[in-house]
Amino acid sequence: MNILRFLQTVDRRVIYVLLMLSVTAPFFLSIRLPMRVSPATEAFYSAIEERQPGDFVLLAVDWEAGTRGENGPQTEAVITHLMRKKCRFAILSFAPQSPKLTQDIVERLGKEYHSVEGVDWINWGYKVNAKNYLKGFVRDIVGVVKTNNKTEPLTKFPVMEGIKTASDIKLLVNITPSSVYQTYLQFVAGPLKVPMVVAPTSVMVPEVFNYLDSKQISGMMPGLPGAGEYEGKLGTNTKVTRFANSASFAHILIIFFIIMGNVAMLLERRQNARLGGRA
Amino acid sequence: MFTPKMDGTWTGYVIGSIVVGIVLMLVLMQLPKRARKYILWTVTFLGGLFYALEFFLPTHEMMIEGSKTEGNFLSPFVVPMTNVLPALSAFAVGLGVINLFQMHTKRVLKWNVDSINSIAFFIAMILMTVGHIMAKSPHPSPFATSLYKILFEGALQSLDATMFSIIAFYITSAAYRAFRVRSVEATLLLATAIIVMLGQITLGQLLTSALPEYLHVEVVRNWILTKVNAPATRAISVGLGIGSLAVGLRIWLGLERGSYFEN
Repeated sequence: MNILRFLQTVDRRVIYVLLMLSVTAPFFLSIRLPMRVSPATEAFYSAIEERQPGDFVLLAVDWEAGTRGENGPQTEAVITHLMRKKCRFAILSFAPQSPKLTQDIVERLGKEYHSVEGVDWINWGYKVNAKNYLKGFVRDIVGVVKTNNKTEPLTKFPVMEGIKTASDIKLLVNITPSSVYQTYLQFVAGPLKVPMVVAPTSVMVPEVFNYLDSKQISGMMPGLPGAGEYEGKLGTNTKVTRFANSASFAHILIIFFIIMGNVAMLLERRQNARLGGRA
Repeated sequence: MFTPKMDGTWTGYVIGSIVVGIVLMLVLMQLPKRARKYILWTVTFLGGLFYALEFFLPTHEMMIEGSKTEGNFLSPFVVPMTNVLPALSAFAVGLGVINLFQMHTKRVLKWNVDSINSIAFFIAMILMTVGHIMAKSPHPSPFATSLYKILFEGALQSLDATMFSIIAFYITSAAYRAFRVRSVEATLLLATAIIVMLGQITLGQLLTSALPEYLHVEVVRNWILTKVNAPATRAISVGLGIGSLAVGLRIWLGLERGSYFEN
């Protein structure tokens, strides 16, 4: 087969193997690529950094195992920062797996930062029908949420002291792979002027930029690279850097294949034109 | 308006609600199609009217659930409505489960090559339900906790992550085959995609770090996203919003064909 044709029609199984290698290799290599913190991540960081100890933050987590690779490190970075700042926070989710996945992260970090459930944080659990739920939630948090994820009444927890309506929330953090952040913007952040930051998956970044540009949200942690940047700001050193390297290598591989296919196509066209064939 | 019920009273209310719900559904199913349509349309219209009036009517300062807030005469009912609607959603989920059971039972009874998938459905559904109920009981046994961990963390989460990860392979293969510079538009799309991808990753940022600041790939990417992408997606969003409003109004007013059991 002509080499130029071959470069345009590489077997998909070859591509799959190379992708698998490019994603897994960074886990076994110790490479630290320089990371520049983007203005969006910087703004996200500042939104939490400006909070005072005891401020109440709503941690709206709406991700499931499918996007754990990106949303997991984002959640970990945000919780670490909140615990360091000694902010109180509540976990609320419209995705069934989220409360459990987030609870695991909070419990693990809680041991390190001596953060106690019910005193420093609370898990409100999984809720349905985001639009309708938030409409009531903004008016009466205790009346709508009622219990934590273990069906214990909210009123018995010190973390809920002074929290009646959504106006008492000092910051709304939404970590999500879906458009639920728009619902939070529409019913909570917008009408009540609660500052809001969003941590979307990489694929959602272009969409969320709209709201960042219009200043409807105060900051954005863009996908896994954003989590890596945030980790750099926090000075923690976990697996995120390696995850970000995996993403880097995978992107480079995609770009390499796209350029290779196009160069081969253009050279083949020129060759055909020279030979008097169809260009 | 609604206060949480505990222990025996709670169980009684749940059973009572399910019985009343089933009776109402059976009555509704026995009604002629025309009458059923009008009942559903009226309920939908009143539900929509409540939220529309609550939003548009003038507000004044008032006390709701012990808090001073802005509202009108409908505002005190917003929180009770919020509490009622999850129960209605639960009925919808219940109907979905019944539907799935009916469909897969038929497939199993017919017995062909696809029946094995239906059996897998029954096993997964029953195991997950039983495992969850046992693990979330007041005093779960070690077996129940282990079963829940295996099913939820071992199986569901891993399968979920695997399914999502597979997309990366398809995207890579599809991008390689589809992104070809066959026209000016395709070339523009390709160049933009490469810049945005490079700007997204640390390695891409490293490649242009020696260039002047305004040529850094992350700076160019930010410019594309805020100055080119944002206005275009905003325009699309406005169009979508107006379209959704029109569809919402049509359903609310009963003008949309097929919304209320018509053919």
